[in-house]
Amino acid sequence: MSERVGVEVSEEVPPPEWGRRQPLGAVSPWIFVVVVGLLLLGRLVFAPYLTAPALQAWATIFVAICVQALPFLAFGVLLSAAITAFVPASFWTRALPKRPFLAVPVAGAAGAVLPGCECASVPVASGLMSRGVTPAAALAFLLASPAINPVVIVATVVAFPGEPMMAVARFGASLVVAVVAGWVWLRFGRADWLRIPSRPVGHGPKWRSFVEAMRHDFLHAGGFLVVGGATAATMNVVVPRAWLESVAGIPVLSVLVLALLAVILSICSEADAFVAASLTAFSPTAKLAFLVVGPMVDLKLIALQTGTFGRRFAARFIPLTFVLAVVVSMAAGEVLL
Amino acid sequence: MNRLTQSMILILLGGAVLRITTVSTTYLNYVKPGFRPFLIAAGVVVLLLGVIGLVQEWRGATAHEDDHDHSHAPGVAWLLTLPVFAIFLIAPPALGAFSAKAEEPQARPVAAAEPYDALSAGTVNEMTIGEFVGRAWGESADSLVGQQVRLTGFAVPSERKRDRWYLARIQIACCAADGVALKVAVLDADMPPENTWVEVVGTWKRPPSGKLEPGIIAPELTATSITSIPQPVEPYE
Repeated sequence: MSERVGVEVSEEVPPPEWGRRQPLGAVSPWIFVVVVGLLLLGRLVFAPYLTAPALQAWATIFVAICVQALPFLAFGVLLSAAITAFVPASFWTRALPKRPFLAVPVAGAAGAVLPGCECASVPVASGLMSRGVTPAAALAFLLASPAINPVVIVATVVAFPGEPMMAVARFGASLVVAVVAGWVWLRFGRADWLRIPSRPVGHGPKWRSFVEAMRHDFLHAGGFLVVGGATAATMNVVVPRAWLESVAGIPVLSVLVLALLAVILSICSEADAFVAASLTAFSPTAKLAFLVVGPMVDLKLIALQTGTFGRRFAARFIPLTFVLAVVVSMAAGEVLL
Repeated sequence: MNRLTQSMILILLGGAVLRITTVSTTYLNYVKPGFRPFLIAAGVVVLLLGVIGLVQEWRGATAHEDDHDHSHAPGVAWLLTLPVFAIFLIAPPALGAFSAKAEEPQARPVAAAEPYDALSAGTVNEMTIGEFVGRAWGESADSLVGQQVRLTGFAVPSERKRDRWYLARIQIACCAADGVALKVAVLDADMPPENTWVEVVGTWKRPPSGKLEPGIIAPELTATSITSIPQPVEPYE
């Protein structure tokens, strides 16, 4: 089963497997010795030269994104592995409504319970799918949980003192986007677009398959998180924010620009409200779009989703989510803000 | 990638995270102080995953019969060594002058939940740059009149005017990726070398037009003394 996962992934990732010609078991440890050797040697030889300010700023932001996402990723992977190993599949068929049409909003609303950021929700959603939850419902959960959980809502209230409607609009708009995206996937999505990750379910003791699932998910999702972190750090250093702020006054364009900024910056959903609040030149609707898009579509999520669910899924689901998020934010901003 | 390599990568990563959180305060260059327990917990979990893998590997072939089919980890996992390389080779410092240089509209500091306290006359009031900027731009600007304040930050030259420089500090909400620069223009003092940490004592200079448009122009401080200091343990506000 998981052989399939390994093979499919290696089709997309540039280095398929290192050193195909020899048995892997013999080669990898030596590659590892080289890595450690480079680390030790590099400290002495290269470190004095790696001091360009731009490179250092890039490295700081890159490490910051990785370091900050790590606890959430570990937590998400832990939860996901626990779901796979300890919660029987029958639990989900009982907990969620039988009809997928109803399961989607229930799963979306359930996202309010998991206090994590987007890095946690991807492995959890894939764990749910591999335990038989309707993909559309798991996707609604995936989109909703980083945006509407209590920690994020409290952060939004704190970041916008005197503007409680911002938190209300964020909660409402995010939930609507999650549920509608789930329904659209249910109606138009095709099963072969989505690669449901199969898990190594060992026949041994439960804790063993728990550890196995955790290790596999962590290595997998972590690798893609690094891809996203590196891209976001590059954008952060290379694209001057002044470009973006020059369009602050133009109505529709400013909403689109902040939505794109949310994608580029890839800020954790627990922190993005503070950044949105600091973008003083923009309209409340544009800030709302920033808050709704950020937890659902950003560079590290694109990398994580592509890695977890496959490229064909990501190429359809991510644009769908982005468009829905922008449209719903505009409507909610019109009505509520 | 076989199980041994996977375990090694996990140990390396967990070790790197524990290194920057337990034996040094480097993690403060990247995240808020409150994040430490979570980072330590995550580091321990990752390290344990690696150690368990090693132990299983070492215990030998009994586990191997059915393992070959799911011990494959994708090659992308190699990328997890990148942050480790960055931490050990580049040892990324706290964001500094490079990130504060752009003369873009300044971010408004996150507003304090409660109104600022009254300042005591006759003494030097220590405050964050965020509070100073918040007071100068807000309703409570009058509270700064005639008061001596002490601000801590690093020196950044102005890109527009030749003899103008700023005392700056990065404010982060969660991690360095969301950092925004807060700046105060320092008057009547020569600029220390760029990126030097200094304490500046001075008084707020009321702008000629009365009130500043928040976000557009940095508040000004007439300096009476400037002292070089080592970088604070907590580099961000």
